[in-house]
Amino acid sequence: MKQQKRLLALTAALIISLANIAAVAQQTLDRTKIPPAGPTPVLRVPTWTKTQLPNGAMLIVSERHNLPLVSFNITFIGGSNQFEQTAKRGLAAMTASMLTEGTTTRSGDQLSDALQLLGTNVGANVGGEEGSIGFVSTTKNFDATLTILADMMLNSTFPAEALERLRGRTLVNLTQAKDQPTIVGAQVFAKILYGGAHPYGQRTTEASVKAITRDDVVAFQKAYFQPGRAIITIVGDVTPAKAKAAVEKGLATWTKAGDKPSFEYPKLPELQPAKIYLVDKPGAAQSVFNIGLPGPPRNTPDYFALQVLNTILGGQFQSRLNANIREQKGYSYGVNSNFGYGKGPGAFRAGGSIFSGKTDAALVEFMKELKGIAGEKPITDDEIKTAKESLIQGLPQRFASVSAISNAITSLVVQGLPDDYYQTFAKNVSAVTKEDLLRVAKRYIDLEHLAIVIVGDRASVEGPLKALGIAPITYIDIEGNPAGN
Amino acid sequence: MSNKRRVLSALALVLTISLFQPLLGQKKNTATSDSIKIPFETYKLPNGLTVILSEDHTTPTVAVDVWYHVGSKNETLGRTGFAHLFEHVMFTGSGHVPYGLHDKLTEGVGGGNNGSTTNDRTNYFEIIPSNYLESALWIESDRMGFLLDTLDTAKLNAQRDVVKNERRQSYDNQPYGRVSEIFSAAMYPKGHPYSWPVIGSMTDLSAASEEDVKAFFRLYYAPNNATLAVVGDFDPAQAKAWIQKYFSDLPQGKPVQRPTVPLGKLEASKRLVYEDRVQVPRLYIQWPTVGFKHNDDYPLSMMSSVLSGSRTARLTKALVYDSQMASQVFAFQNSSEDVGVYQVVVVPRPEHTLTEIEAAVDQVIQKFISEGPTAEELQKAKSGLELNFLRGLESNLGKANQLISGAVFDGDPGHFRTDYQKTLAVTAADVKRVANQYLTRSRIVLSVVPKGKRDQASKASESEAVTVVVGNRRGGRS
Repeated sequence: MKQQKRLLALTAALIISLANIAAVAQQTLDRTKIPPAGPTPVLRVPTWTKTQLPNGAMLIVSERHNLPLVSFNITFIGGSNQFEQTAKRGLAAMTASMLTEGTTTRSGDQLSDALQLLGTNVGANVGGEEGSIGFVSTTKNFDATLTILADMMLNSTFPAEALERLRGRTLVNLTQAKDQPTIVGAQVFAKILYGGAHPYGQRTTEASVKAITRDDVVAFQKAYFQPGRAIITIVGDVTPAKAKAAVEKGLATWTKAGDKPSFEYPKLPELQPAKIYLVDKPGAAQSVFNIGLPGPPRNTPDYFALQVLNTILGGQFQSRLNANIREQKGYSYGVNSNFGYGKGPGAFRAGGSIFSGKTDAALVEFMKELKGIAGEKPITDDEIKTAKESLIQGLPQRFASVSAISNAITSLVVQGLPDDYYQTFAKNVSAVTKEDLLRVAKRYIDLEHLAIVIVGDRASVEGPLKALGIAPITYIDIEGNPAGN
Repeated sequence: MSNKRRVLSALALVLTISLFQPLLGQKKNTATSDSIKIPFETYKLPNGLTVILSEDHTTPTVAVDVWYHVGSKNETLGRTGFAHLFEHVMFTGSGHVPYGLHDKLTEGVGGGNNGSTTNDRTNYFEIIPSNYLESALWIESDRMGFLLDTLDTAKLNAQRDVVKNERRQSYDNQPYGRVSEIFSAAMYPKGHPYSWPVIGSMTDLSAASEEDVKAFFRLYYAPNNATLAVVGDFDPAQAKAWIQKYFSDLPQGKPVQRPTVPLGKLEASKRLVYEDRVQVPRLYIQWPTVGFKHNDDYPLSMMSSVLSGSRTARLTKALVYDSQMASQVFAFQNSSEDVGVYQVVVVPRPEHTLTEIEAAVDQVIQKFISEGPTAEELQKAKSGLELNFLRGLESNLGKANQLISGAVFDGDPGHFRTDYQKTLAVTAADVKRVANQYLTRSRIVLSVVPKGKRDQASKASESEAVTVVVGNRRGGRS
């Protein structure tokens, strides 16, 4: 009905414009006519300089002078997956936190006060495959903030009492995380997919936090924060010459050491036939879904096809999953899907929080959409066109702030992507064909081996899930271990 | 990302605390105002629509942002959750824009859209590549003028289900997720416009009829109750022509009555305990204060960074670093258009009771009330404001919200300057005065404890148990 109305209106619009009565057109605006888009704006990718410093670090500088702001970031290639032992998971993050606890010349309180007076904050953290320390400051406070960052990174004293305090805080956080169904769901999903021997399946536990000693922290700082694996990215109201001078002065004592780690991961556990893993959360109002399996690394040649595929399946609001499960069925506030990529086999995952009473019905719909994208519901030309346009035209948003630009440039180096990645992005996305999409869907969304992890109220969802007969049910606890029956 | 969409008030409230508040209260401790500027022009259409334009060609994108001066406080008891339900309905298509096209012309071309609802206002926005500005204006005008043409019970029911899921996700299935509504109900008398949560009750959401919803729209979604901002990469003459084209023929609505809302006031302090599905208890303390239009909002906000946020802030230093009773402490002035509260939240370390913690908080606050802040504490609190303001300028949407907020609540899109100056002008004596005036009042102490562990509450024997009625948890449509 809506479409008929549209057609009529279009005809009316045509008549009016043929009559060429501009004034009438103005008064009797035809609102059914979709305003045409203007010419596509020219993509303006920021430029940057790259310099290899004598200490082995790479310096990247990108100028942007519209505001008196500077983003400074040191990114380290490799993270907790490369530098932590399994028994001491959490050491990398702990060491990053300990950098705020005092240096040879400033106490933790003095560091904090100095930064507050500069109006900024130095943030450090180490993730699975990379780490960083950095800040955004006003132009005038850049040098002073860099001096403090260098002091934190290179001269920290790691007081033992601070370690105990941070350990206590981390333990409280771990306890609180157990009450968060979404966190539990993500952790259990990773454990099921990768097992306890693969870094992707591991996490910080009470035991691993308790095992960390001050010596471990001191050793980690020495081993990890080395220029040989570092990218220093400075974006904003600076010039390359000024930036280089600031780094040479501010990081003068950071001498050559370290290199890039290898990213070899252990073999994945053998894929299991599709199974439902149910974690009991008594009385939960919603069931948290994570469905998927290990996927390809970021450097896969299928990357662009997968990005288009996921945009159609679950990357956006009007993607198939959300359009169906939220908008049509009303089972959820939002569902989505994504590929995790990374240096290793990051997961493909579809999921979201589902009203407990619709747990079974939602699983039916998830499976329908996954089968659909893998061939049962062919991808249309219109879906492909919209997904591509969305990806291509979304590019400028990646350059919207100094910190966004810093990420956009640095990630190219971290992921080993070419310097003209953004210039060739549109071409690469456009080249994806319908055949590519079907091929990657069949290859990476392996329906026979999906892990279906559901955190929910077992008493009310178990019966309906069993009745579906989609896959056998295994009961596991919040650590991802078998929970008996 | 789609999960975050149509984020409503509880989240918006948190955002207000963490983002907007510092932005609204910009200042810098040296000579002001060189960097504290957002160029804009503003005008009104004859139908009452306020328009704000601000050019910024840094990125080839534009933010289109519309605020309606209506929020949950405009609802009535028994019909709560309307303003927010409406926010959802606004994305289901309108007279000339079929369902789905809105998303296609925003996220489908590399942009995005969303809305949010607070106690005071509802907003809708598009972020688009600059060549899609005209279609964004077309969409916004169509739902302002022709939403009801296509609204029926089926659409309403579908969004009602989504909102119930949002409630489950953001409140019911969220540890500590019920705290804000427990406080709203305890702080204000029954029927007070701020006494119910923005998302409303499950029962009321079920009870809303198509006619109720339509009446709500006619009253509040008229151009005279709306403000439109366009910020980013556009040509002002062209934008004005399009705004004229799409908005000028929308009829003006009836004037909106804005009742005087009394401030929160407690006759006596209350002690409450709530059992939640959590393992770690938490202590919450709230005092009634003032809304963000009141001048005391400035020193109250400044007091927040003196008390928590950095390791040398008073509560943080005492509880997290020195005695190490707590793992985290937050203190903040949480203000709306008409009312506000000052809130302290403490996450304890396992070996310490909430009773001990409450006493420790009181000790710090007593000392602060008698001394006020030092000059250095005040300077630290003001130092970050310029940077925050400048970073806010990097977002077209951030600027749009800042300009509209001034227009809607203070009648001046440039109100951010006033805010900045007033924040800078706050003195130690001001902060000491508001600490004395507000933190000595009757207050509410809420202990959230694990199920069956009511004895873990602060002063458990004096605490009254609160229960929150959840809607039908099981079954389909409730």
